Amino acid sequence: MKEWLLRMTAFVLLVSGSLLFADGCWIKAKAVLAQHLLHRAWEHTLQRGEPTKAWPWADTWPMARLRVERLGVDLIVLEGESGEVLAFGPGHIPRSSEPSADGHCVLAGHRDTSFRFLQELQVDDSISLQSRDGEWYSYSVRATAIGEADRLYLEESDLPCLTLLTCYPFAALDSRTNLRYLVFADRIPG
Amino acid sequence: MGNERDEKDKALFDPGNMLFVFYVGVVMGLIFLAMVVDGRAAVDRGNRGEFNLSEVQQGELLFTGTSEGKYLPAPQLSQDVEIYVSGMAARTMVRQRFLNSSKEWQEAIYVFPLPDESAVDRLRMRVGERVIEGEIREKIEARKIYEQARKEGKKASLLAQERPNIFTMSVANIGPGEEVEVEIEYQQVVGLADGVFSLRFPMVVGPRYIPGSPLKENGEQGAIHFAGSGWSLDTDQVADASRITPPVAIGAENKLNPVRLMVELAAGFPVAGVESLYHGITVSDEARGTKLIRFSGEVMADRDFVLEWKAEKMQSPHAALFTENRGGNDYLLLMLMPPEGENTDKVLARELIFVLDTSGSMAGPSIIQARAALVLAISRLHEYDRFNVIEFNSTARKLFPKAEAANVENRDRAVRFVESLQVDGGTEIASALNLALDGRQNNERIRQVIFLTDGCVGNEETLLAMIGSRLGDSRLFTVGIGSAPNSYFMSRAAAMGRGSFTYIGKIAEVQEKMMALFQKLEHPAVISLSVVDSKGQPMEYYPDPIPDLYQGEPLVISLKLPEQSDGLQITGSLGGQLWQEQVHTQTAARRPGVATLWARKKIRALMDSLALGGEKSEIREKVLETALEHHLVSRYTSLVAVEKQASRPQEQRVRQAALKTNLPQGWQADKIFGGTSRTATPAALHLFMGGLFLLAALLLVRRNRRAGV
Repeated sequence: MKEWLLRMTAFVLLVSGSLLFADGCWIKAKAVLAQHLLHRAWEHTLQRGEPTKAWPWADTWPMARLRVERLGVDLIVLEGESGEVLAFGPGHIPRSSEPSADGHCVLAGHRDTSFRFLQELQVDDSISLQSRDGEWYSYSVRATAIGEADRLYLEESDLPCLTLLTCYPFAALDSRTNLRYLVFADRIPG
Repeated sequence: MGNERDEKDKALFDPGNMLFVFYVGVVMGLIFLAMVVDGRAAVDRGNRGEFNLSEVQQGELLFTGTSEGKYLPAPQLSQDVEIYVSGMAARTMVRQRFLNSSKEWQEAIYVFPLPDESAVDRLRMRVGERVIEGEIREKIEARKIYEQARKEGKKASLLAQERPNIFTMSVANIGPGEEVEVEIEYQQVVGLADGVFSLRFPMVVGPRYIPGSPLKENGEQGAIHFAGSGWSLDTDQVADASRITPPVAIGAENKLNPVRLMVELAAGFPVAGVESLYHGITVSDEARGTKLIRFSGEVMADRDFVLEWKAEKMQSPHAALFTENRGGNDYLLLMLMPPEGENTDKVLARELIFVLDTSGSMAGPSIIQARAALVLAISRLHEYDRFNVIEFNSTARKLFPKAEAANVENRDRAVRFVESLQVDGGTEIASALNLALDGRQNNERIRQVIFLTDGCVGNEETLLAMIGSRLGDSRLFTVGIGSAPNSYFMSRAAAMGRGSFTYIGKIAEVQEKMMALFQKLEHPAVISLSVVDSKGQPMEYYPDPIPDLYQGEPLVISLKLPEQSDGLQITGSLGGQLWQEQVHTQTAARRPGVATLWARKKIRALMDSLALGGEKSEIREKVLETALEHHLVSRYTSLVAVEKQASRPQEQRVRQAALKTNLPQGWQADKIFGGTSRTATPAALHLFMGGLFLLAALLLVRRNRRAGV
């Protein structure tokens, strides 16, 4: 009787453990794999000059390429901020400015996949964004900050600037957090 | 040796030991979890050295004065608001008093909202007995003048527009213990819908912003502050500082920034009921039918002040005309109610095209809301209406090849079709627009296209151009669904399509909001409106084009009369018939502010055309010209007042202080992510828990095996 119970428990633990583990791996793998496809779609986007989807059933499209030379970061930014979008890479908040426009561009990403590198960004680090027309824009990190999501407010602006946003703390297990980590950068003219 | 190791291994894998390891694992996991939770607390602690959280949370107005972490109370603010309503127009005077109770010279920065479309044309600064009148200047020039005065130690104030309804007041060089009073005045049109006049004064206690990372004296960038009650980044520029503005604790602020309010209401007709929606008021009757309204008792400054009034029965005005001559030109403000009678009772035959977005981004509550809204719409159709349903994701498809009569059979078919729709794929709005808009003129029917989508699109400009070229005389009504629809695109699309934009954020709102929209759409009163003067010459009027009129909505237009013109003629289509109205301008009542309102509407129209893709420099020139001529604050112009003599001794420094502010337009993070955190995945948690479970399973299996042996 006791043995049966132990076996059952072991089995349940084995199955649920495997599933959880696999899901955890899949979330990480998806972000990595998607970026490969996205880089290809980005090349097409640049060549054709119009939005190109990375896979036919995607409900988003690459809208910029984000690079941080110092950290070896090279990511394709997708349009949108839904969970479906952020699973594949950083997303551009739809109503914020495009990189090519003079305004406030806001990008969001997962703290444990695409935007994990934010914790290593320092003031005066240089961030490059390539817009759909192929033009590169350079930004310089002005500051980093931590804020509570429901009290966090990003204003529209006429000045060209960039804000990167992710969840905080980086190492936390619990994905339900009200804290956000932010990186503010200003466009370097020219 | 080998035996020893075996013994050791055996000892290690002894069930007792294994259980111990398991418990250690669990305990370590718990400790790890605790550390994670603690990590949040650490954030607060890490900044405590530079910012005293508890102080800020009390809702006191503080600002970081120096790099050593010394705080000064920001100047205190008290406000007096006087609103004079005269017919359709209202003139408001806001008096802001900044009191510096600290021992240092201060600069106060206050971001505040005013009603949409308020025409701000006056700034006056009072220092003791002296009154300095503000002048209108190009925005950059005004800022330079202000900065210069600030450096020279002169008192100065600058009023700049951040958004059409958000303004920033900066007051430089307020001496220790000194009070500076600033007066601003603006003109606005009162609202009128379904016979109820309304006036709004925004005074929500929104977020305050604190200069977070002050520029140190040597220009070195300081560290970022983070406070529980709010935080922001600071530079020496206001525009930058306001990039992030945290909200403020409601309640505690009320006494700090008291608002006194008075309304003098000269409606121009016998008033039946005066009502304040959110505040207690006292109403007293003055001479000649004028009413005086004041706050009664304690004022809750946590919501906008809204005043509504009605005309006595059968006394409701059907038209109003005000005029003002400025610079040799006659300006008019015309209010006209759509005629009521046999023609308007008749419900017009319509052709309705419902377009539903079934792309992947609509997954979840959005599609459920949208389906519910559509079923509701279809059930409200009349037998003589025609309709069609189009769904689109990566491709678009129609229910019927062409619009069909809304008989019971077709309606049932449509409801079944809608209820069977599933989400998948991309958002190809272009193909849907192609099907929905035919570019034709429909004389016998009113064609209304109702477009339900979350507007996740990348090629906005192409789509807008497409709407412009294919619209014909259809009207496009966009309905934004879900937590974060692309309102910007959808409101532009609706403006382009001469319709309106409805936003539905919560599933509970679907019924109510869609019902209101459908009811309105069922009763178009006058459509295709245009105005010429009595000689048939075109006129400059706003809004242009004039939107369609629906029952209960008045037509309010601002016009500039061409020279030697004594009247105007309004033409439209009422129930399929030609509708014309002659207006003679000689009898119009003269009122100051009519020209200002016209200029403000012109600027609004110009700014809208900018949003619709107009040439930036050209529009800027036009706005600048209008704003400077009419003394108006705009995106490109500011009011600046500077005292002639310096009051601050050069050796003393001036400190910057930001005051509490109301919520400007922008993006609030928890709104962006629909209130839940989505910038973290459960990957780490799943990996950790998965590992833990597997470990536990392994242990149990081993234990079992041993027990079995």
